[in-house]
Amino acid sequence: MLKWMARLRRFHTSALGLLLICGFALLTATRARAQGNYEIQVYGADTEAPKSTMVELHSNFTPDGQKQIIDGVYPTNHQEHETLEITQGINSWSEVGFYVFTSLQDGHGWQWVGDHIRPRVRVPDSWHWPVGVSLSTEIGYQRAVYSPDTWTWEIRPIMDKSVGRWYFAVNPALERTLHGPDVKQGIGFSPAAKVGYDFTKVVSGGFEYYADYGRITAVSALHDQQQQLFVVTDLNVSPKWEINVGVGIGATASTDHWIVKGILGRHFSWVKQQSPTD
Amino acid sequence: MLTRRGLLKLGSVAAASAAVPKQAYSFAAADYTLDIAPYTLEVSPKHSIKTIAYNQQIPGPLLRFKEGQQVTIDVTNHTANEEVVHWHGLFLPPDVDGAMEEGTPMIPAGGSARYTFTPQPSGFRWYHTHTFAGEDLKKGQYSGQHGFLLIEPRDSAAPKAAQHDQEFFLALHDWDGEMTGSSDGSMNPEYRFATINGRVLGFGEPLRVKQGQQALLHILNSSATEPHWIALAGHQFRVIALDGNPVPAPQLVPMLRLAPAERVCAIVEMNNPGVWVLGEVRKHVQEAGLGIVVEYAGHTGGQAGRPAGKPVWQQPQSLLWNYEQFAAADSRVAPSGNIIEVPLVFESKFAGHGAPDHWRINGKSWPDTETVTLVNGQRYRLLFKNKSSDDHPVHLHRHSFELRSLPRNQYIRGIFKDVVLVDANTETHVEFTANNPGATLFHCHQQNHMDEGFMMLFRYA
Repeated sequence: MLKWMARLRRFHTSALGLLLICGFALLTATRARAQGNYEIQVYGADTEAPKSTMVELHSNFTPDGQKQIIDGVYPTNHQEHETLEITQGINSWSEVGFYVFTSLQDGHGWQWVGDHIRPRVRVPDSWHWPVGVSLSTEIGYQRAVYSPDTWTWEIRPIMDKSVGRWYFAVNPALERTLHGPDVKQGIGFSPAAKVGYDFTKVVSGGFEYYADYGRITAVSALHDQQQQLFVVTDLNVSPKWEINVGVGIGATASTDHWIVKGILGRHFSWVKQQSPTD
Repeated sequence: MLTRRGLLKLGSVAAASAAVPKQAYSFAAADYTLDIAPYTLEVSPKHSIKTIAYNQQIPGPLLRFKEGQQVTIDVTNHTANEEVVHWHGLFLPPDVDGAMEEGTPMIPAGGSARYTFTPQPSGFRWYHTHTFAGEDLKKGQYSGQHGFLLIEPRDSAAPKAAQHDQEFFLALHDWDGEMTGSSDGSMNPEYRFATINGRVLGFGEPLRVKQGQQALLHILNSSATEPHWIALAGHQFRVIALDGNPVPAPQLVPMLRLAPAERVCAIVEMNNPGVWVLGEVRKHVQEAGLGIVVEYAGHTGGQAGRPAGKPVWQQPQSLLWNYEQFAAADSRVAPSGNIIEVPLVFESKFAGHGAPDHWRINGKSWPDTETVTLVNGQRYRLLFKNKSSDDHPVHLHRHSFELRSLPRNQYIRGIFKDVVLVDANTETHVEFTANNPGATLFHCHQQNHMDEGFMMLFRYA
């Protein structure tokens, strides 16, 4: 899957985001070296407010990644990925997101990689659940030179909780290849998690973990798994803005060794200017 | 975890235990009884709220006391938690004022207490619980524990505040709150329902009036956290008293603003026959239910050209209110005399995006806030410096104070209150004379602010 995203704050502050990458790679878990890092984010449970839109730019660079072409897939080393994400709030408990994935690399120029759509619903506030819970599903296409599995589908349960200065999020995602070499591999398990701490009202920091264990019915050997850990920070400078940066390290042979990621997002409200009496 | 507040509560329980035997010798029947018990409030035909109430009604019973005439109230607590009843706006001794921080004994779960005191001053006061709610938005002032208190002047020959033909008591309240993040990163409750006298607009009995009448409205904002703006379509209010105290310059105004715990007494001349809405000016709050129908005799339908039976609302386009319009005419006189200034700086302390901010007065939160020692008979000027991005309705127990300086008016006088809303990032100054010895609590009346440390004690030397 192309995404690991997280909205850190359940309360509409900055999105959590640390992204780590592996997303693309998760789609191709059994093809260990065919990975890409397009959207690296642990999702928070909150959804975009109705009549508002979130526009995010995910910028991820791989300083030290795969250096060879494997199965016709471009190497990730020194690839710069720019992903545009547009999320529209539907109502107080649902949203839909759209993605445009691109890649820049010496010798290949700036290339379109693929597009995804991601509807999401969450448990309404009125249910008074003690943790934030939502369910995201994402389906989309990516070009074979960036991922041998061209059509993929993901279901991502999302749970999060803020406790004082601490923030916790877990995304035990399940993935399925719809078209490509792994179409018969069944369902893959790609969990992600985040722990954050508010150092101040503006500055939060923490860790994000991303993994791809391979098939849920047959976990891959460790060296074929993807395991990444990011050190991240979120800057809550304004309710309108979302700023997240991080550096990640891959812990297995199948994972890119170093990745630098950044997210810049802004909320736009389409509600007309309110009068004091609204 | 046993907090310092918890320790204080334990101390109060011990004090209650000590006080009970003495009170038990009094066999005379009480003048009034209050039963604190669970109650299901039907706010609308489709929605009920489980809460705590006095005498199985919301608001609690209207209590009319005579100024200077001793009164006894027996209170029984049928709930599972300790309770206490605060007699808001009265000049009472601290052991019956109704705040454990001052030394009033808590009423244990299943227990009883007898409050005996001599009420003063006259005017529109109220009574309510004074307990910690914390994260439970069904406890404390979030519950239905509030009622009207009217202290009639001791001198029956004294001129009445205003001639009137009818009087109505109206309590504004918010229900079913949920703590959510606000735009500045702090947390505040958002409410599902807002009511007048426990009913959403259109569900409760209308206020029935007759053309030509002078209706006296006693309006209380008993909300735990929310200010409210109120208008009566087709009419204006003549404000005659704030927090139960007559104002020097009664004014005709199109709307009222009441911060939590504030009261307004206003006369409405019923000179526009029809069926009208008295309700919140802000649309989303009125949609949550805050309103009541005002119905003229013989006018059960709407205005001419409007559907029959449809109460008429005229939407104001702005929020209009200030205290200074009711001040004495010769207000522009700088304060003089032997007045001791007491600066009180209000600030918040970030506690994480998953927790409400802590509140501090002069850099400290309750119970670590400094204690100011007062000298009996001395005049004090409290300099409220609100350096936070929240408004604060601050309340001084057992005394009233005079507004002396507001953000848009440096010198005013003549307005006596016990709650004043200090706007965000502004200063407000008030004066009072220390004339009621005993521990005196000062706090923000917004329940979540009080619970997070916005309290301090004055003590007398």
